[in-house]
Order: sequence, then structure tokens, then C-alpha cells
Amino acid sequence: MELQIKRLTKSFGEKEVLKDINFTFEEGKIYGLIGRNGAGKTTFFNCINEDVEIDDGEVLLKDEYGEHKLSTDDIGYVISTPTVPEFLTGKEFLTFFLEINKERITDQKTIDEYFDLVKINKEDQDKLLRDYSHGMKNKMQLLINFIASPKVLLLDEPLTSLDIVVQEEMKEVLRNMRKDHILIFSTHILELALDLCDEIVILNNKQLELIEKQNLNTKKYKNKIIACLKDENND
Amino acid sequence: MINSLKMSFKIDITYAINSFIYNIKRLPILKDLLPGDSLYKSKRAKSFISILALILSTLRLLVFKILYFYIIYVIASYLAPKNILLAVLHVYFIFTIIGIFINNKVLTTSTKKYFSICLFNMNAKNYMKSLLWSESLINLVTHTIILYLIVKDPIVLIYTVFGFLGRIFGERLNIAHYNKYKIILTYNYPIYWTVVILGLLLVFLPKVNIIIPTSLVAIIMLIMVPIAIISYRSLNKIDNYKLMYKRLNTKITAMNSEQSKAYNRQMAVEMKEKDKVIDERKLKGKKGYDLFNTIFFERHKEILLRSAKYFAMIALIVIVVLAYLTATNQSIATTINHFLSHNIAWFVIIMYFVNRGAIITQAMFFNCDHSMLTFNFYRSPKVILNVFKTRVLTVTKVNLIPAIIIALGLPVLLYLSGGTTNIVNYITMPIFILVLCVFFSVHYLVIYYLFQPYDQSMAMKSVPYSLISLGTYLVAYYLTDFSMSTLSFTIIAIIVTFIYIILALLLVYKQAPKTFKIR
Repeated sequence: MELQIKRLTKSFGEKEVLKDINFTFEEGKIYGLIGRNGAGKTTFFNCINEDVEIDDGEVLLKDEYGEHKLSTDDIGYVISTPTVPEFLTGKEFLTFFLEINKERITDQKTIDEYFDLVKINKEDQDKLLRDYSHGMKNKMQLLINFIASPKVLLLDEPLTSLDIVVQEEMKEVLRNMRKDHILIFSTHILELALDLCDEIVILNNKQLELIEKQNLNTKKYKNKIIACLKDENND
Repeated sequence: MINSLKMSFKIDITYAINSFIYNIKRLPILKDLLPGDSLYKSKRAKSFISILALILSTLRLLVFKILYFYIIYVIASYLAPKNILLAVLHVYFIFTIIGIFINNKVLTTSTKKYFSICLFNMNAKNYMKSLLWSESLINLVTHTIILYLIVKDPIVLIYTVFGFLGRIFGERLNIAHYNKYKIILTYNYPIYWTVVILGLLLVFLPKVNIIIPTSLVAIIMLIMVPIAIISYRSLNKIDNYKLMYKRLNTKITAMNSEQSKAYNRQMAVEMKEKDKVIDERKLKGKKGYDLFNTIFFERHKEILLRSAKYFAMIALIVIVVLAYLTATNQSIATTINHFLSHNIAWFVIIMYFVNRGAIITQAMFFNCDHSMLTFNFYRSPKVILNVFKTRVLTVTKVNLIPAIIIALGLPVLLYLSGGTTNIVNYITMPIFILVLCVFFSVHYLVIYYLFQPYDQSMAMKSVPYSLISLGTYLVAYYLTDFSMSTLSFTIIAIIVTFIYIILALLLVYKQAPKTFKIR
């Protein structure tokens, strides 16, 4: 399975944010998307997720059905500030979600197993989501995406505001998801990207560029990434 | 589709029950009596409350429907006192047509749609169908029953069936409009207002003895049958509901209640594009806090002045209309003259409403203070006092725009309505208005500095601030009963305002460094 970005171009008024992007993301990998502030990472995600209309180009999924446009069920989008129905308890939220999506979920687990997966304990399950901490809301958001299991999952800085223990737990969830999926993970934290992701892609000068690791050690690889990012200023 | 409806209903009920429990648990005594979070999982408590919620929501629906028909009845009895029942049908028919265009259910944004489709991943087409059918059928049944009880003739079915069919056509029309123009019909203001104005003109036809005959409505209803069938088939063929819902119900429009209030506040005071570039000449020769304040004012001119100008315009229109009525109708002239001579205290509450202090302080917080307050120097007593002083002038200047119109308009109205033997009133009256303008400008700013009520996202967090706002309103309201000469009132107002300003400066200097902070 491949996510193919072809000639993707997007401008806001006079400002061109993405220009003629051609890139292929492959199944089974977590891609770390890195870019400087304002480089257009969120715009890139919004284009794939069809939240904004693109000016030119197309986003295609190549799978067992051939090359086709992504359907809304093919894609999941985890945002850094989760919005959840605040007057449902965690358990009710999950129960409704499972009931609504029962036909698409293969290998459905029990509610408790799902909560175990994201380490939400018994007493918190019956709390209203409005009383959940930011990290717990994030876990719930990630969990329902894990259950829905879309072919492509976009993650916009989902771990940045979590404490380190939760971060590790979430990384584990994402690593478990990697198989049969394409995960694109945007972050500003290079160490996090290097630790979690299989490939690093930078968004620079309105273009996507895969930074090959080749035989470099972590430090040299890191320097290479930073050098590529700095490149923008030398233009 | 039935499953969608059931699921949607289940989520609604659970949501309603939980909010009910949550609010009950916040009440003083019950808070200690009720168990903690375990109440949310108690099946017995929930099934009891769910029956209650069901009864209440049915009652609410009925009350709204009865109110709707009551309004129609009142309008009809005004338009055609001798032929009320036919006029009721006429008004209902026209309202239904207006509704076809502007009262769309399928595409309007809501928190519920965001959660159901974007978060819970419900099948968007089934969701649309369940919404359309439940809305249309409930309307068909309730409207038929209530209308039958009023008119007592089965012909009401022609009208309500037309409404049912029209609803389906209206939704199709709205989706076609959205697909073409990327906005929903309700937000296409030229179309919206044309429909409303034309519709309202048609409502008034019985006044000139024209009532749309039932036979014509029957023909239109029959024509609507194939149109509705085609519309429904075509609604069924559309495949991109999920995308439409996703685009319309973005996270921000669908936020939770308090967040969405905060979001609306943010939108109301966010910097406008045309203010981003400011005229450098306005900044020449200014420095320090004066420069800081001038930059703020210039960069937010549009927000700060817009509502003041709007109020000034309304004041002007009201004054011109009253002047015209005064000149043409003696009894109105006498009433206005008596009001202006004896009820000057009413202007306290009027000026309270005219004052734009609340929106100005919101703009200050959102565009300036919420970031400046993270710096400690900004909270030192001297800085606070200096910024406060320049701001008092700014707020007063903005509020003077409507105040001057009122201050000039009142003596003119007084003169036109027969004048006064007490010539000094012509001078004290405008002074009174201007003093009130200064008073409320200072007042809003003081309570903002002393109770800074917003959090980062502009959600209201301070109970004292809300209580003082309410208290101010109550005092202003209480004063309307006061009868005193304009001169005495003006003198009292000047003294009170003067003392208030001194107290305000002292309080702000002493207290604000502690209270002026981010929540």
C-alpha cells in the first residue's frame, strides 16, 4: 500500500505554502514530518485530510483495489488539542464508538482491553471526559483512531504535551499500529522523531524531502537534518 | 437509518443525563449528599433520569410548537380579524415557504454533528436521512394536530403535507447551493434577506384582502410531490456527505458550550485585516504608554469603533423618528416632553446599554493583555496606572461617539416637543449624558482591572465580575423609578463620577497589581 502525493500545490492568497509536491509514503512505516514554524505541516495534513481544497495535484492511495482517491474512512487525523464530547464518560464514549463502528472493526476486543491498551484505569473510565486531563483526552483520541484503524493516520504533534510516561505508552501504541498502515507524524522535537519514526521527511521550501540515513550515526544524521532545515534561510 | 436514529438518540439522552447529573452535583447541599463519579455509571439513576429527560424534551418540543402557532394566530388575527382561520393557513403557508429556503437542518453546523460524524464515525448518509425523516415526520404530525385544533377542518393536511414535501426539496436545494458556492444557503445573505423580505410582504397580503386560496395551495402541493420524490432520490445519490459534514463542522465551530462562547468572543474582537497596517503619522511624536496605547487603538480601530458607530447610528435613527413623530402627533409630543422633563433617570440604564466598555475590554484582553500579562513589568503598579489612565481616555473617546449623538439629540427633542420653562435643562441634559458616558467608561475598565474575568481562551471565569455587572444593571434599573430635576441629577452624577474616578485610580494602583492577571 502506498500514499501517493502528486503535484500537490496549495496557496493562501498570495502566499504559496506547498508547491508541486511529489512524494510516496509506504505501508509499514512511521514517517516523521519535520519543518520549521510556519513551513506548512498542518496545511499539508489538511490537504491530505481534505479539510481544505487543494489548488492543484492529487492525493491517491494505491492498494489492493488499485490507485484511487482516499475515502474519508481511509484516513484518520489526530490533532494536538483533542475535542471530545465533554458530557460523556470515557466508558460511554468508547461503548458508543464501538457500537457505531462494529461492522468495520475486525478482531474487536473488550472495553477493558482497550482501556488497558492506553493505560486508563478503572476509576477514570466512569469519569466525564470534561474531567479528563489533556493527556487522557489525547489517549482517548488516539485509542479510537487505533480501533478505527484507518489505512493512513496523520498525527499532528500528538505527544508533545504528554508526560514522559504517557509518551512512552503512546509510542508503543503507534509502533503496534505501524503494520498495515501508513503513519505520518509531525513534530518539532527531533529526538522524538528519531526515536519513533522509521523515516524522516522534512517540509522545506514548500517541498517534501526524504532525509536518507545511509550509514550515519544518530548525531551525524541529526546534524544532516538540521543542516537541511537551515538551508531555507540561505535561499 | 433506523440504527443511526437510535444511536443518535441514545447519545443525546446520555449526554443530556450526564449534564443534568453534573449540574445537580454542583448545587451547594446536593454536592455533599450525592456520590462522586459512580453516579454516572449507576443504571438505576440513569434510567430514572432518562424518562424524565424524555418527558421534558417532548414537553419542550410541544411548547415551542404551540408558541409558533400562537404567534401565527396573533399575526393572522391582526391581519384579518374577520377571517382569522383562513389567514392562519395563509400565514402558515408563507412561513413554510420561507422555511424551505432558510430553515435547513441537514447542513447546519452543530456540536452533535461533529461528534456523531467526525468523531464517532457514523455513516454520514444514514445520519442525514435519519435527521431529515425525524425532523419532517415530527413536524408533519405536530403541525397537523395543532393546526387541526385551530382550524377544525381536514384541509389543514394540504398545508402540512406541503410543508413535509417542501422540507425535502429545501434540503436538496441547500446541498446544491453548498456544492456550488461552498456556503450554506442561510449564510448567503442576499438570498436570505430577499426570501425573508419577500416572504414577509406576502404574509401581509390579508391586510389588503388577499388570501392565498386553499385550491391554489393544493395545486402547489401536488406539484411538490414529484419534486420532493426527485429531490429525495437525488439526496440518496450524493456520496460526499461525510466530506461536507467534515468541512462544515470543523473542530472550532463544533466546540463544547463554554468553549464556543469563548470562541465567539474571540471572533468578535479579533484584529481585522484592514487594521493590520497602521498610518505611521498617527504615531509620530508619541512615546511610552501613549505610543503603546495609540498602536493598540489604531490596530484595533475596526473592532473598537464598529459597535460604537452602530449604536450611534441607531441613536440617530431613533432620535430622527421621534422628532418626526413629535412634529406630527401632539399626544406623542406631550409624552416625550413629559418623559424628558421628569424621567431623566431612565438615561442611566440607556447609557448603560449604549456603553461599549465590555467589548473594548475584551478586545484589550484578547489582543494585548493576555500576552502582555505574562511579563512581570506589565503588572507593576506604576505601569498599570499609566496604561489605565491612557485607556480611560481611549474608552471614553469611543463611547463618546453614540453619547454625543444622544446628548445633542435630547435637547432638540425637548425643544420640538414643546420645550421647557427651565432653560437650564437644555444645557444640563447633554452634560448629564456625557457624564454618564464617562462614568460607565471608567466603570467597565475598573472592574476589568480589578477582576480580570477571562482565561486564555476568553472563557468567563470570574463570578464577582458577573455579579458586579449584574449589580450595575440592577442599580441602573432601580434608578428608573427616581424622579428628580435634571439639574440635581446632573450635579449628583458629576460628583459621583468625580469621586469614582479618584477611587478608581487609587484602587487600580493599590489592587490591580494583585488582581490583574491571567486566570
